[in-house]
This record gives sequence, C-alpha cells and structure tokens, in this order.
Amino acid sequence: MIKRFAFDKFSALYLWALFMLYFGITKPHSFLTQTSFKLVVIENVFTGVLAIAFMVPLATGTYDLSVGALMSMSLVISAYLSKHHTMNPVLAMFVALGACGIAGFISGFFVVKLRVNSFIATLGMSQVITAFVLHTSSQSITSAFPQSYMDIGSKPIFGLPRFVYFMFILAIIVWFVFEHTPLGRYMFAVGGNPEAARLAGVRSDRMIWGSLVASGVIAGFAGTVYSWKIGNYATSIGPGYLFPAIAAVFFGASQLKGRANVWGAMIALYALAWGVKGLQLTFTSNTIWIEPLFQGVSLLAAVSLASRQGIIKVPRRKSPAPGLTDPEIVPAMAGDTGATVEIPDDQAGNAP
Amino acid sequence: MLRIEHLSKTFPGQVALADVGLEVAPGEVHALVGQNGSGKSTLIKVLAGYHQPDVGAGQAWVDGEPLTLGDGQAAAAAGIRFVHQDLGLVGSISAVENIALTTGYMTGRGGRIRWREEVKRTREALAGMGLSDVDVKAPVSALPPSQRTAVAIARALVGWENGAKLLVLDEPTATLPGNDVQRLFEVIHRLKQRGVSILYVSHHLDEVFELADRVTVLRDGQRAATVPVGELNHIGLVELIVGHHIESTTATAATGGGEPVLIVKGLHGGTLKGVDFDICPGEIVGVAGITGSGREHVLPLIAGQIPRDGGDVTLAGRQIANYQPRHAIDSGVAFVPAERGVRGTIGTMNVRENLSISDLGRHFVRGRLRRRAEVAETKHWIQRLSIKTASTESAIGSLSGGNQQKVMFGKALRLSPKLLLLDEPTQGIDIGAKDQIHRLIDEAAAEGMATLVASTDTDELVRLCHRVIVLTDGRIRATLVGDHIATKRIEHTQLESSRRAS
Repeated sequence: MIKRFAFDKFSALYLWALFMLYFGITKPHSFLTQTSFKLVVIENVFTGVLAIAFMVPLATGTYDLSVGALMSMSLVISAYLSKHHTMNPVLAMFVALGACGIAGFISGFFVVKLRVNSFIATLGMSQVITAFVLHTSSQSITSAFPQSYMDIGSKPIFGLPRFVYFMFILAIIVWFVFEHTPLGRYMFAVGGNPEAARLAGVRSDRMIWGSLVASGVIAGFAGTVYSWKIGNYATSIGPGYLFPAIAAVFFGASQLKGRANVWGAMIALYALAWGVKGLQLTFTSNTIWIEPLFQGVSLLAAVSLASRQGIIKVPRRKSPAPGLTDPEIVPAMAGDTGATVEIPDDQAGNAP
Repeated sequence: MLRIEHLSKTFPGQVALADVGLEVAPGEVHALVGQNGSGKSTLIKVLAGYHQPDVGAGQAWVDGEPLTLGDGQAAAAAGIRFVHQDLGLVGSISAVENIALTTGYMTGRGGRIRWREEVKRTREALAGMGLSDVDVKAPVSALPPSQRTAVAIARALVGWENGAKLLVLDEPTATLPGNDVQRLFEVIHRLKQRGVSILYVSHHLDEVFELADRVTVLRDGQRAATVPVGELNHIGLVELIVGHHIESTTATAATGGGEPVLIVKGLHGGTLKGVDFDICPGEIVGVAGITGSGREHVLPLIAGQIPRDGGDVTLAGRQIANYQPRHAIDSGVAFVPAERGVRGTIGTMNVRENLSISDLGRHFVRGRLRRRAEVAETKHWIQRLSIKTASTESAIGSLSGGNQQKVMFGKALRLSPKLLLLDEPTQGIDIGAKDQIHRLIDEAAAEGMATLVASTDTDELVRLCHRVIVLTDGRIRATLVGDHIATKRIEHTQLESSRRAS
C-alpha cells in the first residue's frame, strides 16, 4: 500500500503542491488569486486537448506528431469557410473536424498499409498539412466568427468558459475508453506487443489506423477551442503547442499507472502550468523563456526518474527477431518486446 | 578453476539463492540444472555481473585468484565467457560485425576497418565449429536459429587464446534442431580436449548425461547436490531436481473417435508444399520434423500467424480464412504460439490483462468492462492451472517462464476451443511445469478438444500424442500411430530425407 503513494508515481502532484506552497508564500497577492487560477486553467486547454489527441495513438504504440499542424488546419478551415464563404460557423467547424479526421486517415494509410514508421509518417504529414494551411491563408484571419458561435464554447459556467468543461468531458471519455472498454484494452495490447495482440485476435491495424483518425479529430477540436476562445486565425497557431502537449503526455505517463494515461497527463500539464505561472510572476520583465525551459527540465527529470526504474520505454513498432536483443550480456525479460510504457513489479520473480 | 562459496541473493520478497556453492574443475564440463525458480539463472546472472550478490554474501575464486562477484568486467578479465539463451546478438547487423562488436575491429591505416580480415576471422571461427556455409555478411536476424547460436558461440570463442578459461553456456540447445545439437556437442568435446572448463546450463537431462562430467543441482535457491554424472541415472537426477520421488507418466487417454473436426487439405505456405491431415475430437496429433521441414509453419498457417499460399482448412464444417487470426478464433481455434515472449505475452500488461485479452466481450456488460468479474475469472484460472503469481495484477514478466506459459494456456483454454494449437508448448520450461502442462493437454483432449502439437522435443510428442505426423522437406513423410510412436523412430524418420542437407 505504501508503494501506491511512491514519489515516482506521484511526482507531479508533489511538484504541484510544492509550487502552490512556494509561490503562495512568495507571491501571495498575485499567485493565489482567482484571476491567475482562471488564467492558468483556460490558457492550457489547447495543450490539454492536444495532449489527449497525442495520447490516443500513443496507446497503440504510434506517434502522431501532426497534432499541432492539425490544430492549425482545423482553425484555418473553419475561419476561412465562415469568413470567405459565409458558411454557418457550426457547419464550418464540423467540416474542419472532418478534414482533420481525413488527414489522420491518410497518416494511417502510410503507417498501416505502407508500413512507414509513425514518427516519420506523421512528421511528413505535419509538413504537408502546414503547406495546406499556408496555402489557404498566409495572413491572419480576424473576426471570422460571430459572437453567437463563440458563445457556444466560451460562455462561462461557474466562472470558467464552457470549453474547459468540454476538455474534461473529452478527458473522461478517453479515460473511460482506455480503462473500461475492450477497445482501450486492445489499444494498449497493440502498443505492448502488436504481434501478440494480433494473434490474440486483436485487429492491430485497425486499432492503429482508427487511433490516428481519432487523434486527428481531437487535434482538430483543439483548433475549435481556439476559435471559441480567440476567434482569430494566425499562421503561427498550432505547432507551438505540440511540445508542451507531448511533454505533458510523457511526464504524465510516468504518473499513477505507469503508462500513458489521461489523468496523469492532466495532472502533469497543470502542475507544470502552475510552476510556469509562478515563475512568470516572479520574473516580471521577459518571461517567454520560462515556459520551454520549465517544460524541458521537468520532462527530462520526470522521465529520467521513470526510465531509471524501467517504467517508461521509448515505443518501437517492430518486435526484435527472436533471440536477438541488446548486445550487452543482459538477459532479456520475457515479453519484453515493443513496449510503450511498462510497469514491472519487482524484478524478483523474473524467471530466476 | 572456478570456486564460488556462500553465495546468497535476495530479491524483494524472494530468496533466489541461499548460501550456494559451486566448483568447476579445470577441463571439466559441469552441468547446472534445476527447475525454473531454483536459482540457476540468478547464479549465472550474478556471475555475469547482471545482478549483485547480497552484501558480504558470496566469495569466488578463479584459479585461486579472488573474483568480485557481480562485476561483469572482472568476470570477463578473469576469462569467463557467456553465451546466453537469448544469444545477445544484434539482429540488424552481420555475423562479422557482431563478432567485431565484442572484440573490436581490426583497423588499418587511418582507422580503416580491415574488412577482408574480419570476414576471414569470422569464417574461420565458424569453420572451427563445422559450419562453413554461413552467410557471414547477412544480417544475423536473417540466419536460421541454429546458425545464430553458432555465431553467438563463435563470438564467445573468438579471442579464446587470450585467456578465456570458462565458457558458460546457458540453455544453448533450447531452439536447436537435433542434428545441430550434435554439432554443438562436438564443439564442446573439442573445447574440453583443449582443457577449457564449461559450465553448461540446461533443462535437457539427456544432454547432461551425454556431455557433463559432474552436475550441480539447485533446488529452491539451494544446492541440492553436486555429483559425478556417472553415479546417477535419469530418474535419480530428476528426483534430485524436484526433491521427491516421482512416478513416470505416459499418455493414457484413448484416441477420440468419430468424425474429424479439423480437415486440412493441400496446405501450402512457408516451407510447406501441400500437407493433408485431419483430427478427431479428443485426439492429440503431433507434428515432428527438423527445422526447415515445415514443422514450424503448420500451426502458424492454420492460426493465421503467417499467410497461406494455398490449401483449405476446415474446422467443424467451417472454412478458416487465410491470415486472419480473428477469424480463426471466431471459428473455434485457440493458438498458443511458439516464442512466448515475442508472440505470446504482452510485457506491458499484467497477468489478468494477458489472460483476458483473448475474449474481453464476456466481461463487457452494459457498456463497461466489469473488473470484478474479470479478476474472479483470472483467479479461477490461476487456481485451475496452479499458476504461481503474487496476484492477478502482477506484471507478466515477473512470473517464471513456466508460469507465463500457463497463463498463455489459460488464455487459450478459456475460449473453450474446438481446436487447440500448441506450438512448442514447453520450450525452455522446467520439468515440473512441463509435466503440469502435459497433464493440462491430456485434460483438454479428454474434454473433447482436438489438439495439434508441434514440437522439437520428440520425447514430448511421444508422451502426448495419439498420432504423430513427421514432416520432411515440406511434406508428410510418415504418420506414426500407437506403438509406432517412439522417440528413436520419429528422430530417425525426420532425418531420412534431410541427410543431404546436413
């Protein structure tokens, strides 16, 4: 039971508490206010949604590096259609989400049918998508959406805009699918050992393909949230959220369960966000550098801690040929093939 | 030569080795045997420096010089070489490069690698083992398993002159076909003549009797005995290993009668060139053959692991689609693949998740996986198959090989299949667990499942099967029934037409 509250599995929560305490003491009047609370929550919704988008294919051992580009594609399509074609913005939104799903489907084609490594396939797709975005509009599109549309997502409930709740609903859905449905179990099985999963009757290819479509739509939804909150399109929006989202997912994967999980990512995301906020309030002048530094350092620290204990492994798609592992004289663990993130219990009974 | 005393190793919650000693005399082949969990892997891992011994527990000497246990570099410097069961080769590079990885490249002017000499060295090393036809420039993963083992041994032997004194062979024959085993034995004999000591870890007791001078038996982390092999017989050794008197068991189940449930016609694919057979309910049919005969492809072709090039597979009147494991399962096939770690277990998941992945639908009630029912079912199988695990939530990798395999059995049996496909069901598993698994197979057949077992272990086929199909060169060479199923006969038949190959 004590192990359940081990530092490594809850480092983000401890970190969060530390930030609250430290900045609460040093900056009580600016940090512990309703305004900063709201700001932190709202500003991180895009990252949160993108993190969920990234996590879905990651469960199947597949990277989707195009989520940032997809966010901007969703935004440019809905903004462009509703401004230049005076399309109903809600309809434009669905067109945009559909387009993102199709983009995910194309990535899936490369990964599943042509057996391209997902890292490379989605990196390539992200560039093609960026090209499409820039071709559609190389300038910003302002006041594209009517207030009535933006109200759908940003009308406040209990002081926070609706899209915050939408993100949590999305998180609950993904969490439920991951933890309480066969689908989620199949996805993690594919992520753990694609060949074993296939032989157990899991349609591994469909899982991977489907997860890329889902991540496309969810990443598109991040663009929708942006359209509700800001309402403007600019070329720079989207890709910048990729790293923080990935950082939250990997930091989060070291938390709680020891594999990619929704609440771990959410906790990691907000623990970091509060730290960033505190530092921004401490260094008031130039604060842009704080966020990347902070995210980079904490990601390295958290994942190092987890890797050292064998909790996280970099996903690989291919299983090694039988009998072939590291050149070291280290006997491989049984079942240790293409793992995303794994929790070994004790090393003890490892076929001694 | 090598002397270890008072070695203890404790893992959290488990004593792996307790006050163990081991002495290997110069020029001796010393066998190390014991069930999975007896501590022999741990002992090897401590010697290799992968595990540290408990603080202050364990001293060792090589030729009278103290050796620090748990230090891989010290062991290497003292002249101890290892060939592990998983061989430790890098699959994507060639035999030449694998050997150079450990020995260092021979370089010429300007750091240029002298490839021609590297190739020559590798060829000579392999030729010294009687293998002159290995493609030393091909990626090692493209080589047949027997050649891979040879490369790993060659790698350990290269630079032997430079002070290697003890060769540790950990389950070297686990994946080798019969004739390659003999070839390995010749190599071992040759090394022995050169005065090299060998520590030989194996589950195959026949090999112990054939090779070893003395044998050390570990049981529950303690040394049960060290005896000259000449003073033991087979049963005596088995009793030392399991720690109590055993009665030998043989297949007794009667052949199931009636209509065949599985009909295979003209099966092509892999190395198979047209194979026909059928199985009745309750019947256990074995597939024998040396590696390359097609033995290793029969079950994968039926289960959809690899694609068929032709042929029909019909189970209870229903065609099983080609290369679709899902369809095979839905038709009533349950498959326990060979190479458990690669195709069977999902290392990221626990015992429960590994077991229930074969059918989650039964626990998916009103839109939700019912965790409690799933745990209850898992406990049922843990009990029924006597799986040794701390809990349903233990990582699958924390179980011993035999217990992992039992989980794989549970995963298959819970489907209540019409056809049970078992590919190398007891590969690398200790005798105790092996016997339990054999009983499970008997029981499954008694319940009316048709069972097809492919195995390189001929004794296993003799023990289990009502009928044995012997394959050579992709075709059925013979079908042995009843009293004709005997180890010698199977081994003789499977080598009949492959003499020219070897």
